[in-house]
Amino acid sequence: MKLLAKYNRINLICTVVIFLLACIAFSFLLRYVLINQVDEDLKIEQNEIISYTQKYQRLPEIVKVHDQQTEYTSIENPFALQKPAFTTSKLYNNYEQEDELIRTLTFQIKAGSQWWLISVAKSLEGTDHLIQLIIIITTITLLLMLAATFLINRFVLQKLWRPFYNTLESINNFKLGSSEQLGFTSTDINEFSMLNSALQQSLTKAAQDYILLKEFTENASHELQTPLAVIRSKLDLLIQDEHLTAQQSESLQASYNAVQKLSRMNHSLLLLTKIENRQFTETTELNLKRLIEEKLNLFKELWINKNITVTTALNDAFIMLHVSLADVLLNNLISNAIKHNTDGGKINIDLKQGQLTISNTGNTASLNTALLFTRFYKAGFTSENNGLGLSIVKQICEVSACSIDYGFENALHIFKLKWQFKNE
Amino acid sequence: MKLLVIEDEKALSDSICDYLGNESFMCETAYDFNTAMEKTALYDYACIILDITLPGGSGLEILKELKKENKADGVLIISARNSLDDKVYGLKAGADDYLTKPFHLPELGARVASIIRRKSFGGMNIVQFDALILNLADKTVSANNIFIDLTRKEYELLLYFISNKNKVISKSAIAEYLWGDNMDLADNYDFIYTHIKNLRKKIMQNGCPDYIVSVYGMGYKLIIPLIK
Repeated sequence: MKLLAKYNRINLICTVVIFLLACIAFSFLLRYVLINQVDEDLKIEQNEIISYTQKYQRLPEIVKVHDQQTEYTSIENPFALQKPAFTTSKLYNNYEQEDELIRTLTFQIKAGSQWWLISVAKSLEGTDHLIQLIIIITTITLLLMLAATFLINRFVLQKLWRPFYNTLESINNFKLGSSEQLGFTSTDINEFSMLNSALQQSLTKAAQDYILLKEFTENASHELQTPLAVIRSKLDLLIQDEHLTAQQSESLQASYNAVQKLSRMNHSLLLLTKIENRQFTETTELNLKRLIEEKLNLFKELWINKNITVTTALNDAFIMLHVSLADVLLNNLISNAIKHNTDGGKINIDLKQGQLTISNTGNTASLNTALLFTRFYKAGFTSENNGLGLSIVKQICEVSACSIDYGFENALHIFKLKWQFKNE
Repeated sequence: MKLLVIEDEKALSDSICDYLGNESFMCETAYDFNTAMEKTALYDYACIILDITLPGGSGLEILKELKKENKADGVLIISARNSLDDKVYGLKAGADDYLTKPFHLPELGARVASIIRRKSFGGMNIVQFDALILNLADKTVSANNIFIDLTRKEYELLLYFISNKNKVISKSAIAEYLWGDNMDLADNYDFIYTHIKNLRKKIMQNGCPDYIVSVYGMGYKLIIPLIK
């Protein structure tokens, strides 16, 4: 949930609750105040009646007033110690033909020798109308205020949080190892500028470390080349000796293989680093069909030796790629298809514009797609394999706007290379 | 004829000299920039094997100096840096060939032989080994005036053997020469056996002796058999 939405929700709920409570309290208070007012009026009336009675020893004439009714009832004896009392009751008004609330004050008075029970009543209808009106006005005002707050919050908050979203976008676009400089838009809000500078610092550090690591890999690989060359040359010299025993030859052969593996791994690591460093930027339009035919011809002895049947359906297809990378890409994909194949197996190569599919039979069931393209992943059956071939393929795809997918269908391992080709 | 190996790693330099030097080739070494400059200024070499990173200066400086002096020495760059740019730069600066470390000595032997053929024998197109005659321009092989029908790879392999005659060439060197180094071939070298068997058969069918001998299963060697 977005921060803004969450905030708005809390804000809205709180405001509505407070508003409702306020409304209820307000209406009660208003009612109380207005009834008090009516009561005051009734008391004044009472006082008038009392003072009139005291002065003339009789009750005043009843004057018909629209919103006030006075009634005298003669009583035998006064109720003991009854105090004047206010009551609220509902009465049917003939005049307006509806029920209405009235407030009645009853009290006892002695006019001459006669005790009277006097009730003065006043309609509360006007008060009710007033209360209703006031509540309506208040509600409308509050609703308007609510809407205003909501909108202001929305726009102001959105504006306030803009730097945050800008930062987020910058981070999203940031790619470790790319040469692009990380740039945050400056902001005058302290929290965000602090966030930006903290991020800038840690990301710059990460980028620096990454470059150092890459340089280390590259340098280490380069430094390894010369000792490897020495070992290899010494082995090449050693086998010239005509007096080697069978045992010595075996040891030599094992050393040869180990050095071979080592130099290949080194070569692959170096290549990976170079691809990551984007040292292969010069792309040319390449005819993949021709390249694949060349590769198949080059590897012919290998697949014939394994009794592999190669079926091809090659259409003209062009790709924008660095020459060396295209060579490595095809080498790795095709040699993998041969290497991990069974004796007497099959390889199918389909090429059309934008898509190259290489599928082959193999010893294993489906490979682990999550790990397949990671470095040093081995499917566990050939130790001869350094596990870098496919990660190189993946890396090439990443720098060249291609994609590589793996699938397993009908006992075939399928590698699909896809690319966009713009015909200009 | 003389060769000069300019390489600061003494062990490697010695290996190269051991491998390439024989009765007809004198191999000299220079381990640093100044010695190398001195030697190249004083003498003429059939081929100079040049490392780029040297103590005291860059191998490319030596190359430029050679070109400035209009020396005809063939130059083969050996470098730990394997990139197309370095290669293109080296070749533009006037080198005849470029080889990346680590390399097999037979590979170096083949490249040096090729440079010497081009430079010292005026681009001679004929290579002879006993009864075999290779025409480099047409890429054909004949023996006793009969053409031997070889595939492209068999031809390359034969030339490779002749450039390294009397030397044992390991199977991995052969595999790398013929199939390049981008491929992990290591699972087995059976296919090389088949390949070489075919080559031997074709040569022997044309009345030649069996020149290629297997050495302990480690590799192969091209020799002229003593007993016919």
